[in-house]
Amino acid sequence: MTTRSWWRHGESYRMSRLRTKNSPLYIGGIGNDTNTDNELSRQWLVHTALDALEERLASNNSNTTGANTNNTRTDLRDLYLGLLYSTDTHKIYGYVTNTRIKLVLVTSSTSPSGSNIRDAEVRTALRRLHALYADAICNPFHLPGDQITSLKFDKQVKNLMLNNV
Amino acid sequence: MADDILFDLLHSEIINYALEQSKENGNKKEVDLSIVEYIGFAAGYKIMERLTREWPRFKDELDTMKFICTDFWTCIYKKQIDNLRTNHQGVYVLQDNGFRFLTNFSNGHQYLEFAPRFVAYTCGLIRGGLANLCINSVVTAEVQSMPSCKFHIHVQRT
Repeated sequence: MTTRSWWRHGESYRMSRLRTKNSPLYIGGIGNDTNTDNELSRQWLVHTALDALEERLASNNSNTTGANTNNTRTDLRDLYLGLLYSTDTHKIYGYVTNTRIKLVLVTSSTSPSGSNIRDAEVRTALRRLHALYADAICNPFHLPGDQITSLKFDKQVKNLMLNNV
Repeated sequence: MADDILFDLLHSEIINYALEQSKENGNKKEVDLSIVEYIGFAAGYKIMERLTREWPRFKDELDTMKFICTDFWTCIYKKQIDNLRTNHQGVYVLQDNGFRFLTNFSNGHQYLEFAPRFVAYTCGLIRGGLANLCINSVVTAEVQSMPSCKFHIHVQRT
């Protein structure tokens, strides 16, 4: 139950982006403040995280040829990239699909109850988000590369954030 | 299986429809299959997102092609590609010895000239799937003897 309340009180914020152009496909979030300044600063956070994300992808590619295996890293071929970046107030997690859609999840780094966010939870949340994205793509009214405007998708994502674990 | 035949029938009717349309537009000599190719593209693009969901990240292009030959093909045609060849410079040749859309008619030369109609959708399907995986390509098909079909994939590098 603690995690549940954490999701609601904390800011949780996510965004999927499109491949090289990096234009956002969808931005959504739940949180207790909808202040424009915070909105902007969170977008800025996501952009910062994208650099970290691309760096990691690039190092993955170069590592596959070399013999040096870094055991501290998560599995190179895993879609979930783990914690990308953290600031005093936020933690940013990344996930890149095979189709190079980048899913970024921003959460506040401390929960009101003081419990930490578990990696496995974030992984599940991002996997579910990916599943929702795959469904949204099959919407005949959605054009590939456009922003996702489907209300159903929006509702499902918000639901996912509220009811996570 | 009844659900399999449904796909075959829908496919052949779509082709008939496209041919009808191109006839109405005054194309008497050439048949315009671009619409069928586009339908394939859109379908391939969308299905790829689903199929690769549980799949580990692809190592390289060849790895992606192997995925097309095995899982992608099995999902759509209930069989795997029989032969994959590549020159390692962006050209891949996929050979299917019993291409599903061609197995329904006689094996000789009787309908050979109409065969291109029945591969257009699949060309689009491959192109769309690869496009979603960030590989731009041109896909052409070649039918020499009836139920077998070769797909040539030229990867466009920029």
